[in-house]
Amino acid sequence: MNPLRVALAVARKDLRSEWRTRELVPALAQFIVLALLIGNFGFQIDARNANTITPGILWLALVFAGLVAFGRTFASEREQASLEAMLMTPASPVAIFAGKALAATALLVICEAVLLPALNLFFGADISGDVVAAVLLATIGMAVLGCLFAAVVARTRARELLLPLLTLPLWIPFIVAGGLAVQSAMGLPGNYQQAIGLLIDFDILFVVLTSLAARFVLDE
Amino acid sequence: MSSYIKASAAAVVLMLVAGAAIFLYAPTDALQGPVQRIFYLHVSSAIAAYGCFAVVLVGGVIYLWRENLIADRFARAGALAGVVFTTVTLVMGMLWAKPIWGTFWTWDARLTSTLVLWIIYAGYLLVRRLAEPGRQAARFAAVVGIFGFIDVPIVHFSVTWWRTQHPGPIIVNDALPPEMLAAFLFTLVCTLVFAAVLIGIRYRIETLQDERETAVAPAKVVPAHQPEAVP
Repeated sequence: MNPLRVALAVARKDLRSEWRTRELVPALAQFIVLALLIGNFGFQIDARNANTITPGILWLALVFAGLVAFGRTFASEREQASLEAMLMTPASPVAIFAGKALAATALLVICEAVLLPALNLFFGADISGDVVAAVLLATIGMAVLGCLFAAVVARTRARELLLPLLTLPLWIPFIVAGGLAVQSAMGLPGNYQQAIGLLIDFDILFVVLTSLAARFVLDE
Repeated sequence: MSSYIKASAAAVVLMLVAGAAIFLYAPTDALQGPVQRIFYLHVSSAIAAYGCFAVVLVGGVIYLWRENLIADRFARAGALAGVVFTTVTLVMGMLWAKPIWGTFWTWDARLTSTLVLWIIYAGYLLVRRLAEPGRQAARFAAVVGIFGFIDVPIVHFSVTWWRTQHPGPIIVNDALPPEMLAAFLFTLVCTLVFAAVLIGIRYRIETLQDERETAVAPAKVVPAHQPEAVP
């Protein structure tokens, strides 16, 4: 079986089931707007300080929306025990995992498609191509890590509790580098090129490591 | 007297001797005064924590590769000891920072990455507790331990990669007077021995726990060719 086709098939299945139920995306969009609301009241944002606070709110909202999204990545598989069925096919577990990660990335990108315009609308943030590039680069690494630990916690007790505890510390490199890139793209001090380089390095590192580890997390 | 009691007694005595070296042999720092004596244990326990997490890394890799239970027990023991040593490092660092920097905590790259290290391995211990015991917990924890180790070089090189409040490497830069260096190296050796003894004892505890778990619920062996009689 061609691993690439397996991965695409799994991703397509996930996205199609999301398209048919339309559960997660509207909920995440609402969640993001709520996060911005809390940001507004928590920081007392006005025209003077919006510029310095918006990058922080961007990452806070994205990280927590991501956690909610990844908490659901394996939920339907778990509820219907369909993961076991998929693993019984001759398809390689790594390909199945890649498909899940691909679908999760797509969901996170949809979240960003809500978040970035909302930041512009509510806080007047300047969303340039540089900001979008930094956020998308961070999304790749965050998605593979989030998907890996979603697969881990899917089979533990207290999974809602464990997912953020495992995922957040390993997301920090992306928040550090992505935060720097977005800050400098929004006109705050920082070296954009260097931050983007770091993001690409971390993306490569975690994609390689995760593809090595996926077999041990999914395989029974 | 069991060998474990002997080893722990030796480790405690070594630590007491190291304490004597720190307080009696090492000279008082001209600028910082007696508070600088925190340095010896602070740095030693940080290095011991790196060592413990290296045990977790190697144990995890061997476990994933060979499903070797011994490697997994060493990884468990290493994680627990490593969290203890990271805690010691953080707490002693904070006590040192208050009089010298004027604050217990500052979000400097080395402090932050050390805190992240602590959180990652505390998460490792949680995975062990929350995953289904046995193969699954061992596999999941091994993955967490391997990913978590990425933070160790980040902690170590943070002082050279970023401009930090925390001082850079002073041992390799030969910035210590010989008495201080001798006291430090002695404390380092004692702390590493202490860490090894902790891991050894913890390994024994993990072995006993594994044995108890398999003893409480013994596998019921039913030969395939001899089905149970139906009344």
